[in-house]
Amino acid sequence: MESQQLTTLTGVIDKKMNRQLKQYMDICARCAICKDACHQYVGTGDFKYLPARRAELIRQIYKKYFTKAGEFVPALYEARDPDENLLEELYESTYACTGCRRCMYYCPFSIDTAWILSVAKSILIAAGMGNEMLGQLADAAIFKGDNAEMFEDVMISGFKEIEEEVRQITGNPEAQVPVGKQGADVLYVALAGAHSIRPAAVIFEEAGENWTISMFEAANYGFFYGDAEKARLITKRYIDEAKRLGVKEIVVPECGHAYRVAEFFYEAWSKEPMPFKVSHILEKVDDYIKSGRITVDKGIIQGKVTYHDPCQLGRNGGKFEQPRDIVKAVTDNFVDLTPNREKQWCCGGGGGIVAMEEFTKTRLASGIKKVEQLKASGASVLACPCENCRLQIEELNDIHELGLEIWQVIDLVVAAMPLPGNKKAAE
Amino acid sequence: MSDEIKVDLELDLKGLLCPLPMVKVSQNISKVEVGEVIRAVATDPGAMADIPAWAKSTGNEVLQAEKVDGEFVFLVKRVK
Repeated sequence: MESQQLTTLTGVIDKKMNRQLKQYMDICARCAICKDACHQYVGTGDFKYLPARRAELIRQIYKKYFTKAGEFVPALYEARDPDENLLEELYESTYACTGCRRCMYYCPFSIDTAWILSVAKSILIAAGMGNEMLGQLADAAIFKGDNAEMFEDVMISGFKEIEEEVRQITGNPEAQVPVGKQGADVLYVALAGAHSIRPAAVIFEEAGENWTISMFEAANYGFFYGDAEKARLITKRYIDEAKRLGVKEIVVPECGHAYRVAEFFYEAWSKEPMPFKVSHILEKVDDYIKSGRITVDKGIIQGKVTYHDPCQLGRNGGKFEQPRDIVKAVTDNFVDLTPNREKQWCCGGGGGIVAMEEFTKTRLASGIKKVEQLKASGASVLACPCENCRLQIEELNDIHELGLEIWQVIDLVVAAMPLPGNKKAAE
Repeated sequence: MSDEIKVDLELDLKGLLCPLPMVKVSQNISKVEVGEVIRAVATDPGAMADIPAWAKSTGNEVLQAEKVDGEFVFLVKRVK
């Protein structure tokens, strides 16, 4: 490795290594409890996916360049250069990781392997080995932000089509998908797809919410790519929009990482306080149901219903009960998966892995624990508030012939609402 | 317009929800040679912004992006 590149890579580590990460470098006892917690290691049996091993690669470089023992007796202390072999293994183990942090939950020292892998991604990007697909998707989002006027007409045209559907479903000819509404209380930052906007718009309109739709999507491939600056720029698009419109609250859609990015990471990336309240759409819907702003009927959804906690919303976002309360409001036939909440198994579809074809075999093999859970539940309907999770579970559903109906939670809510459009659809 | 341009790869992206149509175009662009064209048909209106944004930011070219009978049809030329 050329000395200039070596200086760059060790410089990245030096910059990223705060006190907590240095502690992670020192403290791992190699007990390997994390191997039984990782869906990817359990599903594949591949050593490179063992969480402690993933972190070990960073630890080896750290030892070589940041400890005297590793510097002088590298063979004894398993200290290594970030050579081609190490970087290739690091790429595989890092970008395959879904960042579910189940390993951290079970680790006796709570070592946050996903955080260590954020350092790994910075090293890989500095070495020119960042995942190309995720980088492209992040750049496309930033381009949209920088050239918003270029896409304005097509976006508004799409919103108007959705507005027509909302009017049919609600039976309200005045129902709207408001765009650029000054003085709205809520800015709803959806995903790019209509599926993320339509049911939310129905619920907002029925709840009488003073809302407006964002011109930008909440998904953040800069976060998956591992580039904090790209991730910040992608998030900043709708933060600036919210400031322009003078809203009080930003509501993010059924997307795991979008909530975590807005609620927990943006402040650190931007070094400014988040000027708005951030809510997940399911927090709003739970509130609407409990306060009587919308009505749902328990008799509509047929079959046993279960719920999958997306890792970024549940274990890493702390939202366990509101989604369950919503599901329980639309059915008396709810069954939880086992284990659940903070111990929930990752489905294997997070961290941007569904966009990276090279990991398809690993991804599908890593879903085996989720398949076992779903089979054991006996459920015929799955509610799941994360796009990546649904994509993964839909594939598992087909491959393992689980026979599940897989729904967004807000779609279940709309289906259970006494709306003229629903009655018409049922006739 | 699509009748006049030779299509080298067809992508049926109907039913895929955004951002997947953009992801699929991105995944498949390396499967055609520089100068060749992908024809992609999507049904999610979000693709009308997503795919042109992806093309602009990656230096590829969208020759056509239009709605035809409720579907969104794209001709994407690999430029580099």
